[in-house]
Amino acid sequence: MGSGDSVGEPPDGPARPGAFARAWAKALAGTSYLPMTHAQLETLLQRLTDQLAAALRTEPLDLRAGHRVATELVASHIASAEALGRTVEVIQLRLVRDLDLVADDIADRMARLLAAIATGYARALRDRTLDEQEAIRRAALIARADAERALRASEARFRHQATHDPLTDLPNRTLFAERLAAVCTAHRDDVHRVGLCFLDIDRFKRINDSYGHQIGDRALVAAAHRLSRAVEPHLVARLGGDAFMILVERSTGTGDVVAVAESALAALAEPVLVGGHDVTVTASVGVVERQVAGTTPDDLWRAAGSTLHWAKSAGGAGWALYDAERDNREQARQALSAAIPGGLERGEFYLDYQPLTSLQDGSVLGVEALVRWQHPQLGVLRPDSFIGLAEETGLIVPLGSWVLAEACREAVGWSAATGEPPYVSVNLAVRQLRRPDLVQEVCSLLRHTGLPPNRLQLEITESMMMSGAEEPVRTLRALADLGVRIAIDDFGTGYSNLAYLRDLPVTELKVAGEFVRGLRAPEAADERILASLVSLAHALDLTVTAEGVETVGQAERLRAIGCDAGQGWHFGRPAPADHILARLR
Amino acid sequence: MQRPDWAPETIDVERPSVARMYDYYLGGSHNFAVDRAAAQAMVAAVPEAPLMAQANRAFLRRAVQFLCEAGIRQFLDIGSGIPTVGNVHEIAQRHAPDSRVVYVDVDPVAVAHSREILAGNESATVVQEDLRHPERILAHPDVRAMIDFSQPVAVLIVAVLHFVGEHDRPAEVLRTLRAALAPGSYLVLSQASDDGRSEAERAEAQKVYQRTDNPLWVRSRAELTAFFDGFELVEPGVVWVPQWRPETPDSAEDAERAVFLGGVGRLGG
Ligand SMILES: C[S@@+](CC[C@H](N)C(=O)[O-])C[C@H]1O[C@@H](n2cnc3c(N)ncnc32)[C@H](O)[C@@H]1O
Repeated sequence: MGSGDSVGEPPDGPARPGAFARAWAKALAGTSYLPMTHAQLETLLQRLTDQLAAALRTEPLDLRAGHRVATELVASHIASAEALGRTVEVIQLRLVRDLDLVADDIADRMARLLAAIATGYARALRDRTLDEQEAIRRAALIARADAERALRASEARFRHQATHDPLTDLPNRTLFAERLAAVCTAHRDDVHRVGLCFLDIDRFKRINDSYGHQIGDRALVAAAHRLSRAVEPHLVARLGGDAFMILVERSTGTGDVVAVAESALAALAEPVLVGGHDVTVTASVGVVERQVAGTTPDDLWRAAGSTLHWAKSAGGAGWALYDAERDNREQARQALSAAIPGGLERGEFYLDYQPLTSLQDGSVLGVEALVRWQHPQLGVLRPDSFIGLAEETGLIVPLGSWVLAEACREAVGWSAATGEPPYVSVNLAVRQLRRPDLVQEVCSLLRHTGLPPNRLQLEITESMMMSGAEEPVRTLRALADLGVRIAIDDFGTGYSNLAYLRDLPVTELKVAGEFVRGLRAPEAADERILASLVSLAHALDLTVTAEGVETVGQAERLRAIGCDAGQGWHFGRPAPADHILARLR
Repeated sequence: MQRPDWAPETIDVERPSVARMYDYYLGGSHNFAVDRAAAQAMVAAVPEAPLMAQANRAFLRRAVQFLCEAGIRQFLDIGSGIPTVGNVHEIAQRHAPDSRVVYVDVDPVAVAHSREILAGNESATVVQEDLRHPERILAHPDVRAMIDFSQPVAVLIVAVLHFVGEHDRPAEVLRTLRAALAPGSYLVLSQASDDGRSEAERAEAQKVYQRTDNPLWVRSRAELTAFFDGFELVEPGVVWVPQWRPETPDSAEDAERAVFLGGVGRLGG
């Protein structure tokens, strides 16, 4: 090999690498990464050697051969400054000698060929470098664009997650609140109106209970999709559970929003088939519609909430429209009930008493304690304006305890000119009666005040006894065993079932004022009813007190019937204890 | 609100990338000034760095050639880098045009560049994933579309493992990959090693590595050999990369200067 390289006839086909090609290959080793085997490199270089030799021999010298060889080197990734230097060196040192090239001007030819190689190589390398720089820059741009797109997508996904309900994919409370706030800040003029429909599925818990949560969830999803389709393009949000809120952004009046509520209800009315069950639901909607100016998102939410509550308490399956007056009333009641604990603490409550007068001799047998509230802003409030509230909220328990204690405390000091001082009659609420410690409470009150048990009467309503529960009956027995009197208040307004009275430790019936008002003419139906009531009560060993006695005539008739006592304006209005007591002396 | 962990990172080409530094060592121009500066700092400390890269790349070429001859037609090249010259798909598809290659890299620029290069190649693709999450690589739809795991596959993890520290459980990563492979599959590993170095040299190298963003986790021959657990090493086992089936005897001289140890293992059964 090597010396076989002939100058005259270039061999056919790939020549075996000669000494020069091998030396060249060795010179290139390590100049840069060469993606080929050493044998492949030698073969390549042999081909290029042949081209160079041919060029040197050809007349005139073809410098393009130098460019071609250089370009091919770079294209074969023999592309580094070092590779060029080594190439120039090895060609200059060995090519002429190894290939036995002889010509007069060989030095001159070699110089020009090397110049052509160097030029061609530098050009090719420069182009390659620029291409690679462009490619990597493009890749960086693409990568950055991809990353930004992915970031935006993930942000969008994140935002979607943060503003949508995962179960139904409806907007959630956050998104709804944002939109509502935007509407309320954007249109503070006097033309824009806005509406809300607060929708809640009626008794949804029953669906979960009877079909399981999975079916319940699927029914919710179905309902959610129907809803949003039915009220398009209005925003529907799921607030959680089975509650949804619809935003009507450009209302022209109540009718618009009511129409949306009706479409929503209609959409839910059709049964949905989930998991083989035909699930039918109804819903209640609270509708609020008003001018944007002068309202706030909070006001709207609250109003929609109250209105939904009205729709629910009206039996559900329908909508209710916001009513400012009703809302104000309810809010005032709310405020009043919230003020009860403070009022108790500050001693704003006090008791008035109304006499229960014997129809036989006109003596005062007892007095009914009636609670009053000296409200700092509203003046003196009568029980009908706050007892109902207190019963709803449970505040009746502390209030009732206070009344009981106060009544006992005052009554113990009373004395009469003749005979027994009057007993004090105190109303007892259901919740008080249900408390397990009531007997204990009464017991210790009597002990602490020293009030004889028979001078305390507890009034309960007949409805309290109708529930059939054992517990209150047991409590009443225990109280009666203490010696306390038990009266049934407002008798005649409920079921008026005399049968159960036989089994109860009751001592007195207080007949409701309605019957007394009917006592105008003799032989009126009310009088006959009263008469038989009285005789039945007497048969059961109960005394009868008539409430609401306003005239002498009524008092006369009641006496004639055999009624034991009367209470009402005719006998004396409620007044502070000392007023009543003054009459006893 | 806190960004959830699936939010992607943005691209920062102001920081050197090991993929582009490696391209620079190999004589490529797919790199930026930061990469060149970092690579030059490395060369100043370890003058053989370019030679190491070249020797490693040559090992990769010989290993792929060997695998082609062994009949392998599916390649999973993890930590494939910037496709400079002598890429796996070029070698494999020259040998057998139906060879299928999936490139995997964490570097988004390397991946974008690979995607450009591979545009129009039906039998090669690239996915952006992390070797440290092999289960994600194995489950990736593009990987699944290209590679039939019921047939032998060659998994190449060449010059990558030294970026994976022990806390990233490389042995577990390799176990997970192995479990997905059919008998007759191959594993090709290479990584930087400090075997045979003096304590002083080790300390010196350690100092250099510490300065870069990607500290190197050099390993001994025994440690690299242990990564082939479950595979049978083919001749000559785990050696300095120039010694692995050299094309000419003299190319294996001074082999330990290459710093890289490499080997190829076959999954039996
Ligand atoms: C030195 S290059 C090796 C390229 C090619 N395998 C070779 O040997 O010629 C290392 C490559 O591994 C990538 N890399 C580093 N850590 C990685 C990881 N955890 N998962 C995937 N790729 C990784 C880098 O982005 C870089 O492209």
